[in-house]
Amino acid sequence: MTLITLANVFKTYRHGSLEVPALVDFSLVIDSGEFTVLAGPSGSGKTTVLNLVGGLDRPTSGTVTVDNLDVGGAPAGILADYRLRRVGFIFQSYNLIPVLTAAENAEFTLMLQKVPRPERRRRVVALFHELGIAGLEERRPSDLSGGQQQRVAIARALAAFPGVVLADEPTANLDSHTAEELLDLMRDLNTRRGVTFLFSSHDDRVIGRARRVVRLEDGRLASDSAAHR
Amino acid sequence: MLTALAFRNLWRNRRRTLLTLSAMVVSAALLILCLGVYAGMIDDMLTTTTRLYHGHVVLAAPDYHAHRTLHAHLPESAADLPTPAGVTDMVGRTPRLRAFGLLSAAAGSQPVEILGVDPVREPTVTTLHRQLVAGRYLQAGEAGAAVIGSTLAKKLGVAVGGEVVVVTQAADGSIGNDLLTVRGIFTTGDSRHDGRLVVTPLPWLQQLLVLDGRIHEVVIAVANPLQAFADADRFNAVLPAGIEARDWGDFLPEMREAIVSFDVSRVIIAGILYFATALGILNTCFMSVMERTREFGLLLASGMRPWGIRRLVLLETLFLGLIGSAVGLLGGLLLTWYMQAVGIDLSGTITPITYAGSTILPRLRAVFDPGNFLFPVVMLVVVALVAGFLPANRAARLDPVAALREE
Amino acid sequence: MSALAYAWRSLWRNRRRTLITLTAIALSIMIVQAFHNLAIGIYARMIDDGVRAGSGHLAVYRNGYLESREEGLSFLPGDLAKQVRAIPGVSRVLPRIYLPALAQSSSDSRGILLVGVEPDAERAVNPFLKKLPEDGMLRDLDGRDAVIGKRLLTDLKLAVGRKLVVTAQHRDGTLHSELLRVRGVVETGIAEVDGSLLMVGRQRAALLAGMSGEIHELAIILDRADDDRRVFPALAELTGSRPEVAAVSWKEAMPNLANAIKLDYAGQKFIFVIILLIVTIGVVNTLLMSVMERLREFGVILALGSSPARLRRLVLLEALLLGLAAAALGSMLGSLFTWYLVDTGIDLKNFVPENMEFGGVVFDPVLRAAWDLVWMVRIALFVTGLTVLAAFYPAVKAGRITPVEAMRHS
Repeated sequence: MTLITLANVFKTYRHGSLEVPALVDFSLVIDSGEFTVLAGPSGSGKTTVLNLVGGLDRPTSGTVTVDNLDVGGAPAGILADYRLRRVGFIFQSYNLIPVLTAAENAEFTLMLQKVPRPERRRRVVALFHELGIAGLEERRPSDLSGGQQQRVAIARALAAFPGVVLADEPTANLDSHTAEELLDLMRDLNTRRGVTFLFSSHDDRVIGRARRVVRLEDGRLASDSAAHR
Repeated sequence: MLTALAFRNLWRNRRRTLLTLSAMVVSAALLILCLGVYAGMIDDMLTTTTRLYHGHVVLAAPDYHAHRTLHAHLPESAADLPTPAGVTDMVGRTPRLRAFGLLSAAAGSQPVEILGVDPVREPTVTTLHRQLVAGRYLQAGEAGAAVIGSTLAKKLGVAVGGEVVVVTQAADGSIGNDLLTVRGIFTTGDSRHDGRLVVTPLPWLQQLLVLDGRIHEVVIAVANPLQAFADADRFNAVLPAGIEARDWGDFLPEMREAIVSFDVSRVIIAGILYFATALGILNTCFMSVMERTREFGLLLASGMRPWGIRRLVLLETLFLGLIGSAVGLLGGLLLTWYMQAVGIDLSGTITPITYAGSTILPRLRAVFDPGNFLFPVVMLVVVALVAGFLPANRAARLDPVAALREE
Repeated sequence: MSALAYAWRSLWRNRRRTLITLTAIALSIMIVQAFHNLAIGIYARMIDDGVRAGSGHLAVYRNGYLESREEGLSFLPGDLAKQVRAIPGVSRVLPRIYLPALAQSSSDSRGILLVGVEPDAERAVNPFLKKLPEDGMLRDLDGRDAVIGKRLLTDLKLAVGRKLVVTAQHRDGTLHSELLRVRGVVETGIAEVDGSLLMVGRQRAALLAGMSGEIHELAIILDRADDDRRVFPALAELTGSRPEVAAVSWKEAMPNLANAIKLDYAGQKFIFVIILLIVTIGVVNTLLMSVMERLREFGVILALGSSPARLRRLVLLEALLLGLAAAALGSMLGSLFTWYLVDTGIDLKNFVPENMEFGGVVFDPVLRAAWDLVWMVRIALFVTGLTVLAAFYPAVKAGRITPVEAMRHS
């Protein structure tokens, strides 16, 4: 079943009087339950694709549709709700809120959704267990290793049971061993829970573990391992 | 180089600097306005007492100064004694005779102070002739005429042209009793004058009191009231025995105190107003220093001395202080100018208020006094430097290695 | 975790900055509260002195007397004095006569104000009469004893036991004279009063003016100054049956004092406003800095699905917590300061001249505060509100953040 569709998307950024094309006539279809990596050198447009799919940015032209929602054209209020309930985000630099504990960070989206406190805690404790960080609930982000922080970030992304998890270079700040562990974890979640993963990377070892590889070059689709479909 | 660097650093966080500056400008400008209005009030008080009634220097017999004794009189020639050398800013002097009595009309009687004046010379000393609300001032050679306060006229139920009876004790012990025709009515805003002062021609009062050719005091006006203290001393050095000069500070000691302590009041008001500003500057400087920990570490590592860093940060707050006080001064000047030119009339809200033997008029009006501008401006720069001192010290004491490691 | 906990912890992320801002707000609350309480204390003292030496907390006059002070406008008190005394909260009732007169000694004369009083009642109330020795007070209502102002005494070159002649206008229009004897001397410190006050028994003054039994003023002293709101209606009811008289409060009877307080407090208020204005600018600055520093964090929160309105509320909540903390700390400091000012006070004896007069009352050189708890709470809440108000611009600024740009930052 088709979950994400980007059709003939152009995205141009303005830097003063300079126009920088980030995506040029980019089209992509992703089905529910896929585990896809966006590969390519930095500046090739990977992050732009993720931002567009996540409803953080709008295309200059073309359409972005996720789960039948016109993400490129929806009003801001709908988009905020879309991000809250249907998308999970994982960032390269974790972006945990420093004044909150690990568990509180993971609970954050649930708090925004007004899920009652005991229910929040129950879900997060279960997730922490599943992600192998049980017992770290009360630590502050500054007291966690990079890998642990990124697991907390994954817990935050998954806590609200989103349809799709978007991850921008999730392993870029981690050593290769930790990166591989994390990726295995994400693949495992993809298999067991059926969560659709779309992430970007320029690390070949990470790319090798993806089920589908979409390569970008200068904002254009260069290759797609699922192109035979 | 350091100067240019400090100046540019100020504008790295434009919004923060502008907000801090606005707090400084607001406090300086409003402080200047406050002081201007306060000085205006004091000026009003001094004017209502000296220029409307007391004059600045009074020559009289010592017993007259102390008790206003009817019998402590002087020859009329005392009004023309030579002016001592050094008294340069005298604007006028006039002889006066004074009596206390009862003024009666149809509606009742009131205790009054009767002032016998020379209708030509008196206006060179006091400005009462400009405060008339009805009728006219006394004319030379006129007898049996009076100019009285408006409250008194109301209480007695008399208008211009009306007649009143004066009863007082004459110098020979007899009861002096005569008719006066009201020629003018004045309002000064000072209840003590408006309610009990009667101004009559000097010769008429001399006759009533049986004191021909005698006066009680010679009243002198000077251009600068603060000069009066020294002028009184100069007069005393040359006056013949039996006559003594006193300045307005002697009969209005509380007023003198208020004026002399104005500088202290200024410091207190400024201190209270500037403390909040000082904390704001302190905060801004700290933020700016903390943000640049790495940069200072780099400067230290590349050989800049700690006092160089300290000087850089202090220079920044100095600039902040200078800009803040310059704009604040401009704002203060404009506000003061407005309050001087236009002012606010409060006579609908409050009545005149007696204070320390003088009267506060129901109006807000500022006066220009260089000290009221200079002081807030200098103090603001000092406050900025003091507030910059802690952050400057902190920046200078940084350990370059640790600072460079910091993000 | 709740939004509250998040806001509170965010507030303390930059401890020094928050502390400095908190201190600024708290200290200004302290200053405003303490100075207000000090002013209230000083005014209460001035009012108390003023009403005791003057026309009472409340006073009854014949209509028109207060404006014109025409001695013809007198009234027969009848049972009024007794009835007023029966109103709960009333401490003393003082009938008085005021006559403008001429006082003569063998050497000089002065225009004076002859005041006819009931000696025992006045002595119990008037702070200056209380100071008189046992044999210095008037003995009866119609005797020839007189209590005289210090300055008037010296001007007329009199001494205790000496005689003087007082001349006043009789009801029939003629001038009547009376011989009096100085029994006591008062010094109020107010030059005008000391130079013109001559106090005699009420009946003696009435005889001189030919107005036997009538009075000009019925001054009423209350147990507590703020009882006037309770006593006034009862008094108005009593005077209601007599249309020729009316009751007024001290504010109308002594406009000089009321206006002096009004003007002084207005000046103080102006300074309060400036202080709070400057503090508000400081709060705007702090919160704005805090928002700008956390651009990235706010970007993440928006990316996670928070609406901009929620983010704005979060910033406002931080300001509210800051304001409440400052209000609590400031009120504590303000209470300590006030406590000191109530207990010890400020002694200005060495700084202000003796007998400093303001609004017709001699200024007590020892300044003491009085508690005004309601006002303290009000100003603390007002400043908290002001802090939240100051957060509006930073909050709007936070709401306008776009997540993509914010996360690209730093």
